Amino acid sequence: MSERTGAVRTGLAARGVRSAWVLPASLALLAVLLVLPAVIPPFFTANILGRAIVFGIIAMSMTFLATYGGFVSLAQMMVAGIAGYTVAVLVPGAVPSIVGGVPYAVAIPLGLLAATAMGLLVGAIAVRTQGIYLLMITLALAVGVHLFIQTNIAWFNGYEGIRNVVGPEILGLPFRNTYVFYYTALVVAAVLYAMVLYVVRTPFGLALQGIRDNVRRVNALGYHAALHRIAAFGIAGFIAGWGGLLATFYNIGISPGTIGLGATVNILVMAVIGGLGHPIGAFIGALIFVVFDTFAADLYDRDRFNTLIGAIFLAIVLVSPDGVLGIARRLGRLLQRRPAAQPAEAPR
Amino acid sequence: MQAAPQVPALALHGVGRKFGALAAVGNVTLSVAAGERRAVLGPNGAGKTTLFNLICGDFPPTSGRVELFGQDITALPPHHRARSSVGRTYQTSLLFNGLSVMDNLVIAVRGAKPKRFSLALPSREDSAKAIALAERVRLDHLLETEVAQLSHGQRRQLEVGMALACDPRLLMLDEPAAGLSPVERPELLKLMRDLPRSITLIVIEHDMDIALPIADVVTVMKDGDVVVEGPPAMIETDPTVQAIYLGHGRAH
Ligand SMILES: Nc1ncnc2c1ncn2[C@@H]1O[C@H](COP(=O)(O)OP(=O)(O)O)[C@@H](O)[C@H]1O
Ligand SMILES: [Mg+2]
Repeated sequence: MSERTGAVRTGLAARGVRSAWVLPASLALLAVLLVLPAVIPPFFTANILGRAIVFGIIAMSMTFLATYGGFVSLAQMMVAGIAGYTVAVLVPGAVPSIVGGVPYAVAIPLGLLAATAMGLLVGAIAVRTQGIYLLMITLALAVGVHLFIQTNIAWFNGYEGIRNVVGPEILGLPFRNTYVFYYTALVVAAVLYAMVLYVVRTPFGLALQGIRDNVRRVNALGYHAALHRIAAFGIAGFIAGWGGLLATFYNIGISPGTIGLGATVNILVMAVIGGLGHPIGAFIGALIFVVFDTFAADLYDRDRFNTLIGAIFLAIVLVSPDGVLGIARRLGRLLQRRPAAQPAEAPR
Repeated sequence: MQAAPQVPALALHGVGRKFGALAAVGNVTLSVAAGERRAVLGPNGAGKTTLFNLICGDFPPTSGRVELFGQDITALPPHHRARSSVGRTYQTSLLFNGLSVMDNLVIAVRGAKPKRFSLALPSREDSAKAIALAERVRLDHLLETEVAQLSHGQRRQLEVGMALACDPRLLMLDEPAAGLSPVERPELLKLMRDLPRSITLIVIEHDMDIALPIADVVTVMKDGDVVVEGPPAMIETDPTVQAIYLGHGRAH
């Protein structure tokens, strides 16, 4: 007689045992990304690497929830958009000016606060759902907010959105400067990435992984699993908020199209292509996506891009359910000639 | 909170639980004294595990009252019961498969403390306690091993270690010996024997060789109800118990 378990199993989550190479590999990658702009054309720096980093941040907010909590949320692009819209509504110089006059130094924290609050709200609304139902409810929230913004003229200027959100000056330089944008995005991404790796070692993060593996046991050990879960969505909202801010400054504005269904699906595609096994997968997936997005349009006509990225998406999901990271992991094992570890089957 | 000695560790008053039309637990009234070792016996499907679930709050009883050290906990959610020092293991191990043995124990240790949302790394004290628990259940050589890689016996040991993490006043073990090897069984028996009397112990166990030597009192259940209760010597010779065990076979 088996006991009913409330175990959370997405099959996507990687086993969270520490790997010794994660820290050195991450630092090496950071070093490469710091010097790369010196040798590649500015177009690549801003439109390929910079854009990949910004999308990667938003995708990482999804990966964080999926890898460590077992929750796949489709609301992360919308949550990012909340931060972008908050700033766009507040800052001076935006067209049309809705509130205006609030300096970036105030508007940016407010944007992050709004995204965190929206993350918490999404988490609270979806707190009882799992798997496909969680996908559906987060998608519904994303589409709902998108439609609300698109039809609300007074606050969000409807379909047209808000233009001329140029971003703050950093060290006296305009944000539109390629290198200011790139290095800001890189530093933000590196800090958020480090934050994720740190958080999952804390009691909060360990309990989150406990919820992924066995929510019933987490409750039996004294945790309020539902509150924990909502808090994790809040952290993911904070991460997505940074991505939303950077995307808004990069695009010099925000419109409903940037947070619509298409954008939501793009984030999912990036996260899955890269692999939902480790936060770095989000950035790998985003880079692959951006490269195809940029060059497929030259090779084919624009419309074929979706076919191409869709085919890649399918191929990756079929070949390696845990994305490029999973392929890399398997190659690594092959090279070390170590057989893949077999999980012990729990007898009844 | 200091309980007077005569207050029982656990008191069930007419506790029942229905799943649809099935009364998994019918109408159970029993009392376990503080420091007592209680064994719960009974054939498969007797409602033993369900009774544990009602005590630890996995789901509420459909009738009756549960009292822990004199305090009515019938309506308390499971995480509050764990905080009032109820530790339990599960018949089918419920572990965090993707994490290491150490992380499993750290989660268990932190669950019993405040600041469960802490974003500071686990303290030295937490780690020391987790390691001490690992030693107690003989898993200290496997601290960094992923739980999914453990053998069945090791998983059972970890179950016990995690249940001990909250410094339980009431410890409930659900068939801890099931599937253990002949080498592991005596070790488990020793672990249970070595528990201080400040811990009240309730063990569900099919194996009489494990259950009877440690038990002060044995409760036998069948079809959701208690059929016999008494000291081990009486249970061994009780005709009703023999009928149940011969009828269903001692193995299952
Ligand atoms: N969550 C549940 N939902 C429906 N029926 C259940 C549930 N848990 C237990 N049961 C039923 O309750 C009865 C008692 O089960 P259980 O308490 O597991 O028995 P035991 O542990 O004594 O073998 C069984 O008939 C079982 O099928
Ligand atoms: Mg049982």
